This record gives sequence, C-alpha cells and structure tokens, in this order.
Amino acid sequence: MNAPERHKAYLLEDDEARVEYAKDQKIPNAGLFTIYKEDHTIGNLVRMQLLRDSDVRFAGYKLPHPLEHRCLVKVQTTGAKPKEVFLRSISDLHSEFDYLDRYFREEVLRFKEAT
Amino acid sequence: MDFFELRETGVHEEFRADEAEEPAGRRSYAEVIAARSRIEVTRSTMEEVEFDLVGVDVSIANALRRIMLAEVPTMAIESVYIEENTGVVQDEVLAHRLGLIPLRVDPNDFEELLDPEDATDVNTIVFGLEVKAPINIVAPNARRRIDDPVEDDEVARRPGGHKHTTVVTTKDLKWLPQGDQETFLPEPARPVHDDILITKLRPGQAIGLEAHGCKGIAKDHAKFSPVATASYRMLPRIDLVKPVEGDRATALKNRCPLDVFDIEDIVSDDGPPASRAVVARPRDCTMCRECIRRIDDVPFGDDMADYVKLKRHADFFLFKVETAGQLAPLRIVHDAIAILKAKCDKWRTELELSGGSLSLD
Ligand code: SF4
Repeated sequence: MNAPERHKAYLLEDDEARVEYAKDQKIPNAGLFTIYKEDHTIGNLVRMQLLRDSDVRFAGYKLPHPLEHRCLVKVQTTGAKPKEVFLRSISDLHSEFDYLDRYFREEVLRFKEAT
Repeated sequence: MDFFELRETGVHEEFRADEAEEPAGRRSYAEVIAARSRIEVTRSTMEEVEFDLVGVDVSIANALRRIMLAEVPTMAIESVYIEENTGVVQDEVLAHRLGLIPLRVDPNDFEELLDPEDATDVNTIVFGLEVKAPINIVAPNARRRIDDPVEDDEVARRPGGHKHTTVVTTKDLKWLPQGDQETFLPEPARPVHDDILITKLRPGQAIGLEAHGCKGIAKDHAKFSPVATASYRMLPRIDLVKPVEGDRATALKNRCPLDVFDIEDIVSDDGPPASRAVVARPRDCTMCRECIRRIDDVPFGDDMADYVKLKRHADFFLFKVETAGQLAPLRIVHDAIAILKAKCDKWRTELELSGGSLSLD
C-alpha cells in the first residue's frame, strides 16, 4: 500500500544526479557530497580514501535514514577545493580497483594453469 | 603493518609496528596498493572459492564483500501468472517459493527489466509449470520416502498413502524460449538443481502457471543474491614471544583444539635433546584464545599468556565465497570488482561533467 517502490533502493530517478556537491556555508574549505542510491559499501570506502589524503582535515559519512537511499559525505580540507580532493579520491579508488581487477585476472589464469 | 592483538579479555590494541612506507611526499594510495597488494586463490571448486586479498584497507575488502552479497546481478523468477492452483500452497506462497529458485542463466545475456509491461525476449525468461496430480493412480514422479521401512505398495497406494502424493519439483519447470532466446543463449535456461521441492499435490489437485524471470540485484530482493555466503577474516598471527620449550611446548600443542602448533626437536651437541613449539598452521587458528587462557591446577596453566601473543594482520584478508549456483564463484568476485570500478567511473564522469555548472570551490 504505502510501501516504498522496490527499485527506489538502487535505481536513480529520472531527474536525479548520481552525485551532488554543496559548499558548506559556515565552515571554510568544507562541502557536502550526496551520493544517491548508495549505502555503507561506498560511504565507508570513500571516507577511508579521503582520509588517506593529506589535504583532508575531516571526512565522514552518514546515511540519513534507512528509507532514504543516499549517502552523505562531508569533507573539510586544509585549503584545497573539496571537490578536487573528492575527485582525486574517486580516481584513486578507480585505479585501485583497476589494479585489483588485473591482479585477480592474472591470478585466476595462474591458478587455472597450475591445476 | 598493523595488527590487532587479542588478549584474554577483548581486543586490546591496534599498534603500528612500523610505518616506514608513505613518505611525506604525496604518493597516491593507489600506487601503494599497486605495489604491495596481491591476490592469491587458495582453493577453487564448482561451489566455493577461497582467496587471499593482501595489502588493502578493510574498507576495500568490506566493499567487495558487500557488493558480492547485494549488488552482483543474477536472474530470478519475478512475476508468476497463475491460471490454476488447487493445491494447499496458496498462490502468493507458491510464487514466493518459485522466486527463490536459483536459475542457471547468465545475467549478462539479458537487459534489465524496469516495468513488467515492457517484457521482451531480451529481458525476460519464461518458465511454465503444469502439473496435474492423477486420481487414484500412482503418480509418475511420486517418490518414496527414503526411511519407509517396508515396501507395502497396497498401503502406499491407498488414499493417504505417500504414493498418492504428487511431488512438484524444479524438474517440472519447463523453459519456454521466447523470441530469439534459443539462438542467443549458449545453453537452455534451467534451474540450478532439479530436485528442489516446490510443493506437493493430492490426487486431483493441479497447478498451471507461467513464471517470468528477470535480472535484478539482491539490494532489491535477496533471491537475486549470487552467493550463499561471502565472508572474510583476517589472517591470525601467533607470536611466541619467549621460547616455549620442553613440557610447556607439549602442553601448548595439546591445548590448541585446531592443532596450530608443532613440536620441533632441537638438536644440540651439548646438553640433553630438547623440544620447542613452533607455529605451524596459523591459518587454522580460530582465535578461540584457549592458548592464552588462565587455567587453574593445570601444568603451565597460569602464565601461558606471557609466552603466546595472539594477533591478526590488519591487511591480510582470507575470503571465502560460496555460490548459490547461478554464477561460478570466481565470476562473482570478478563481477564485484568490475562493479566497484564502474561505480567510480560513473561518479568521476559526472563530477567532471558537472564541473562547469557547479562552482569548483
Ligand atoms: S587461539 Fe585457539 S586456535 Fe588459535 S592458537 Fe590459540 S588455542 Fe589454537
């Protein structure tokens, strides 16, 4: 009856962006990224990646409500633009998974040959 | 490298033995990962794969696990159109049971179906289930219970006897190819197992239905999950901080229920022959902590914790992935990594594209 649509958990609405950025009005060099249709899987990943960056003073994530399928990531930097830092983190994550992907393929080939 | 140390009560500390890597200059974490991470498959069967993922952060290991559980797409029955169901299992329960059947269909051959109205051969597979329980005849696929003591056919055939019950299993599900499916699917769509019990019918009862399957992810419904379980644990590391010798070594070996320790003979020219405990199979350790427990009235029961330190590597993950049957286990891992990669890609593109409209500050 009033159950939320099932696909709302993972499909973007027509007019919905995948990521949104809003500058923080009170704190310098801070901003809030909203990643839609994502949960702890990505929230924690992005947070950890941001914290590895020496330009980042603060990074944290939260899921505002279990029925709202979005993940908020707050970033404060030591001076760099939050969006640049965020973009850098995402690129880093991408290349990390790229490496893992390659290592995994190689390993599977090796394993298949060995057995 | 980091470790977590387990003491008799709780996890006590996480300490950094050395942090020599990562000098002040920015070396991106991706390069660090590239340099020190590795993946090693240790066991792989049709149902299960075990592999080591070394040198990455927990958040990556955990993301991988969560993606495998909830975001790798598979095919499952989604809508059931029931024409006739006179069995005792109600329509909705029957439909639910059908939904949970794992199907051996490659989701890559299909597109996502958003609205059941748009069903076509590229996004939907159709199964028919047509069973009529014969009246007073032994049903062709009736099965004897294995533990039935005697073969008394007369009794079994009488109403109420088990030969009167028609068993409906996944074997009765017939794939009805749509459109070009027979040409583009490498093999016919079918349930993973032929012997999953769907329902049972009494004489005269009948089921006639059409089940439509589509592609989905487990975030939507758990039936789409490709894994029975996907989990990781950190590699245990057991340090013997002081040499454990002689009777103490034997006591330690006997204490461990998983036989982690071995006893090594020390041969020396002078002095009597001695023995020493060594950590032989740290992978088997379950962190039960028996070896550091204080036990009264047992030889060496009171101070073993001074000799043995239990730790876990913070960046060495032993993964175990069990498939539910739809996809091969290695394929699930591979898909999961690809999904994470694709996600990063999409955000990157979107953020870069929106660079103009959103001010870069
Ligand atoms: S924690 Fe348990 S399994 Fe591990 S070494 Fe000690 S006794 Fe053996």
